[in-house]
Amino acid sequence: MRRPTRTNFVRLKIAILIVSLVVFFLFYRLVKIQIVEANDLKKQALRQWTKSVEIEPSRGIIYDRNGRKLAINSPSYTVWAYVSEIENPEEVAKKISPIIEEPEEELVDLIKNGTNMKKLKQSINREKAEEIKNLNIDGISITEGNKRYYPLNNFAPYIIGFTDVDNNGQYGVEKAFDSYLKGSPGLLIKSTDAANRQLPYDGEIIIEPQNGYNLFLTIDENIQRFAEEAASKALIDNKAKSVNIIVMDPMTGEILALANKPDYDPNSPREPIDEKARAEWSNLSEEELQNEWFKLWRNYSINDLYEPGSTFKIITAAAAIEEGVVNKNTHFYCDGFYKSIPGVTLRCAKWYDPHGDQDLYEAFANSCNIAFINMANSVGKEKMFEYIKAFGFGELTGIDLPGEQKGIIPKRLEDISDVNLATMSYGHSVAVTPIQMINAISAVANGGNLMTPRIVKAITDDDGNLVKDYKPEIRRQVISESTSKTILEMLEKTVTEGTGTKSFIPGYRVGGKTGTAEKVIDGKYVSGKYISSFGGVAPVDDPRIAILVIVDEPTGIYYGGTVAGPYAKMVIENTLEYLSVPKEITDEEKSEDIETVTMPDLVGLTLVDATKILKEMGLRFVIDYEEISETSKVVEQKPLAGEEIEINSLVDLYFEKEN
Amino acid sequence: MKSKLLKHEPDFYILISTIMLVFIGVIMVYSASSPKALQEFGDPLFFFKRQIVWAALGLFIMIILMNIDYHIWKKHATAIYIITIILGLLIFTPLGMELKGARRWINLGFTTFMPSDAIKLGSIIFYAAFLENKKDKVSKLKDGLIPAFILIGISTGLVYLQKDLSTSITVAGTMLSMYFIAGMPYYVLIASAGLTAILFKVAVYSEGNEYRLDRIKSFRDPFADKLGDGYQIVQSLYALGSGGLFGVGLGKSKQKFFYIPEAYNDFIFSIIGEELGLVGTTFILSLYVIIIFRAFHVARNSNDKFALFLASGIASLIAIQSLMNIAVVTSSIPPTGINLPFVSSGGTSLIFYLASIGILLNISRYTKTDGSKKNEHNS
Repeated sequence: MRRPTRTNFVRLKIAILIVSLVVFFLFYRLVKIQIVEANDLKKQALRQWTKSVEIEPSRGIIYDRNGRKLAINSPSYTVWAYVSEIENPEEVAKKISPIIEEPEEELVDLIKNGTNMKKLKQSINREKAEEIKNLNIDGISITEGNKRYYPLNNFAPYIIGFTDVDNNGQYGVEKAFDSYLKGSPGLLIKSTDAANRQLPYDGEIIIEPQNGYNLFLTIDENIQRFAEEAASKALIDNKAKSVNIIVMDPMTGEILALANKPDYDPNSPREPIDEKARAEWSNLSEEELQNEWFKLWRNYSINDLYEPGSTFKIITAAAAIEEGVVNKNTHFYCDGFYKSIPGVTLRCAKWYDPHGDQDLYEAFANSCNIAFINMANSVGKEKMFEYIKAFGFGELTGIDLPGEQKGIIPKRLEDISDVNLATMSYGHSVAVTPIQMINAISAVANGGNLMTPRIVKAITDDDGNLVKDYKPEIRRQVISESTSKTILEMLEKTVTEGTGTKSFIPGYRVGGKTGTAEKVIDGKYVSGKYISSFGGVAPVDDPRIAILVIVDEPTGIYYGGTVAGPYAKMVIENTLEYLSVPKEITDEEKSEDIETVTMPDLVGLTLVDATKILKEMGLRFVIDYEEISETSKVVEQKPLAGEEIEINSLVDLYFEKEN
Repeated sequence: MKSKLLKHEPDFYILISTIMLVFIGVIMVYSASSPKALQEFGDPLFFFKRQIVWAALGLFIMIILMNIDYHIWKKHATAIYIITIILGLLIFTPLGMELKGARRWINLGFTTFMPSDAIKLGSIIFYAAFLENKKDKVSKLKDGLIPAFILIGISTGLVYLQKDLSTSITVAGTMLSMYFIAGMPYYVLIASAGLTAILFKVAVYSEGNEYRLDRIKSFRDPFADKLGDGYQIVQSLYALGSGGLFGVGLGKSKQKFFYIPEAYNDFIFSIIGEELGLVGTTFILSLYVIIIFRAFHVARNSNDKFALFLASGIASLIAIQSLMNIAVVTSSIPPTGINLPFVSSGGTSLIFYLASIGILLNISRYTKTDGSKKNEHNS
C-alpha cells in the first residue's frame, strides 16, 4: 500500500477548481437560456407548436327583392398536403392524381416546392373527398369549405355575376359588392406535434369567421323571368346576335329585371350554354376561347354602346316642350326632306310618302325626322346639349355594377355642327348605354326626375340586421311634371296609333317609342346590320314600369316596332298582371266591331305600288328606314299573305337593298 | 502493513444524490418517452418499465459492490482490463450490432450491451493500479509518461474504432485527469493540449468526417440551419427556453412530441429544463456537483494511492460525461452524442455508472474521517 503524496492533493485541488469553473459556466448558460433568452425562444417554439388554419367565412347570400335565393353556398372540399410528412411525393401524386384530375408531375412539384401546408386542389365534391380520405395517405388532408352555387342556373347572370375558385367576386354584384359579401376569415389555432398531429393538451383556439353580408337585390324574380323568357324568344324569332331587356321602376330607379341573351350559367361560366355554342367553341384556340368568354361575360346593358335611333326623340321632344318652343298646337310640315343646311339633304323615313301637315302628337307618333329636326333647331344647340347632358347621357348613371361606360356625346358645344344637331334630334351620331336610355325614359315617366339606377335594395348581416339601405336617389329634376305628362300622352299615342302598335295591350295604357339604327362599328355605319329597340312605359297614367328592349342584329325585318315591340308587350303585360294592375277595357274597345281584311301578297311590288294597295285597304305600314328608293321592291312582308288582319293595323315591309 | 483499516458508513451524500438522480431519471424517462413509446409500441410505459428494471438491477449491483472491498479490483486489474478489451473487440465479430450507422453494441440475445461503458470502468480500474505501481517514476518519461500515454491510446482507440467520438473524449479525458492527479509533469499538459488540437483537427477535417465540421458550424449558429444540422440544438434550446424559471410542469413538455428526437436519451436534460425549468436543471446540476465533489473528497481522504486514483477516476468520468452532456444541450460546445449519466434511458450505461458509484462508496467506507484521524493519533 502506497500513501498518497502531496502532489496528489495539489492536483486534486486543481481538478476541483476546473470542475467548478465548468459548472459555473454551465450554470451561466442555463440562466441565459432559461431566463434571459427564454421569452424569445418560447415565442419561436410556440410558432412551431401552433398551426393556424384559416376558417373560411360563409359568403353572403344574394336574394331577389322578395327574398328568393339567387346565390347560395354549397359545401366543397379542398385537398391539402402537409409537405414535411410526405416521404415519397411521387407515390402520393400517383395515388391522388386520377381522383383530383391534376397531372402527376404538377402535384410532385407542388409537394416538393412547398413548405408546411400546400393546397393541391380546390372545390372537389363530396364523393372525391371521401375517396381520398379512404386512401389514408399520411400528409394528405381534406378540409371542408364553401363553393358558390346559383340554384337558378343561367338566371340573371349579368346582375349576379360569379366568383372564382377562391370565392372572389368576378362579375356583377358578386364583384361590385365583394367587400360586403366576402366577410373575413376566422382562425383555427391548434397545438401539434412535429408531425402536425393535435397535442393531447392545449386544445384548439377558434376565432370565429365573420360571415359575409347578404344582398337584397332590386330584381324581382318573376319580372326577371318574364324578361328572360321574352329575350330568349326575341333572340330566336329574330335570329338576332343578342337581345337585351331592362325593366325599371321609374319612380325609384330600381331595376326590376335585366336580361341579356345569349347568356351563361354562373355555376360554370366557362362552359358553353347550349349545343350551338359548344359547336362554335370547339374549334377555337385557347386565346380565342378566352375572348369569347370575356365577350359573353360583358354586361351589354352597361358595358356596351349603341346608337339609340328614334327612341332618342323622347329626349328631343322633352327638351322642346320644356323650353316651350313647341306645344300641343304646334304644327310641323313634312315634305320628306330637310334641305336647310347647305350641301346636305336629310330625308324623313317616309320621304316617299311624306307626312305632310301634322301636330306635335302626330309627328311623335309618326316618328317624323323632319319635325324633330325643326324641334331641335327651335331649342337651339346650347339648350339641346344641356338637355342631353341633363338626361344623363355622356356620364355614368352610378349603377353599382362594374365596368359602366359613359357613352359618346359631343365633348363641347362647339363640336356640334348644324348637321350634328339635326341628326342627334332623331338619335343618330350619339352613342348611349342601354342603362342610360332606360334611366332617361324613367325620368320622363316619373315626373321629370333623373334617378340613380339601383341594383341593390338592402344589405343585411348574418343575423338579418339591416346594414345598409339603398333609398331612391334623385340626381336632378330634368323636366317639369307637366312636360312629363305630355310626353307620356305622346308615347301612348305612338302605341295606340303610331309605330308602336305591336306593343298595344288591350286594357293597359302602354306608352312607347320604337327605334332603329344602323350599327356603328369602328366609327362607321355598317349597312345591313341594325339595332332595333323599343322603349316604353306602363301604365302611362300611373307609371309602374319602364322597359327597354334592344335587339342587336336581327335577321330580316328590323323595324324596332316589330322586332322589339312584341317582346316589350309580353313583358309589360306579364309584369302588370303580376303587379296586380287592374285591366280597364274601355267600352269603345269592347264594343268596337272590328273589321278584318285578308293580307295581300306584296312581295315583288315596288315601294309605291305596295304602299298604295295598303292605303286603299285601310292598312297602315311602317318603314323605319330611309335607304330605299321609290323603285325598291318588297322582299318580305309581315303579316304573310292570306292572314286575316284588323283594319288599321300595321304592316311591315322589308325591301331589297339599294345598290 | 498490519494495521487493519477502519470500516465505517459509506458517504451519505454520494448515496442519496445518486439515488435521487436515478429516481428523477426514471420519472423523466417516463415523461419524455411516452409519446414515442405510445406511437411505436402502443404502450406509453414501454421505456419506463425497462428503465425501472435497469435501475433496480443497477442499484442492486451498487449495493453489492459497496460491500466488496475495493482492493479486489487492484488484484484483478489486469484481468479486468483484458476482458474489457475483448468486449470492445467483440463488436467486430458477428455478435456486433449496428444501429443508426454506428457499430457500438453487442447482441446478447435478451438484451444489447454497450462495451464502451465497460471499457470506461475497466480502464479506470486498470489505470489506477498502473499509476500506483509506477510509484515515483510516474513523472519520468520512459517509465511513466510513455506507458501512461500508450494505455490512454489503447483505451481511447478501442472506443474510437466504434466511431464514437464523444465516448473517446470521455475516456481520454478521464484517464488524462487520473494521470494528472497522479503527477503528470506540467509540460505534458501543454504538450497534450497541442496533441488534442492536432487530434481535433484530424477528427474534424479528415476525409470522411465532414459531418463533424458541419456540426461545429451548426454550433456557432444553430439557427442558421435550424431544419438541418442545427435542428436538434435549436429544438433543445426551444425546450429549455420554454421551461423558463419554473417549467411548464411535469409531463407537460411539448418538445418531447417528436420535435426532439429520442427525447428520453441524449436530450433528456432539455425536457427536464422544459418541464421543471431552471429550478429543475439547477437541481440536477447540483446533484452532479455533490457527487463529483464528494468523490474527490473521498479520493483526498483515501488511505492509499490506488483508492485515490480510482475515486478520482470515477469522479472525473462522471464530471466529464455529465458536464459534457449539459454543455451540448445548452449549445455550449459543438453537438455530440453523449447521454446523461444516471438519468438517460439505457441499461448498460446505468448499470456501469451505478457499479462505479458502488465501488466509490466502498472506498468511502475506508476514508480517514475526523474520528479515524483521532484514532490514528491515539494508537
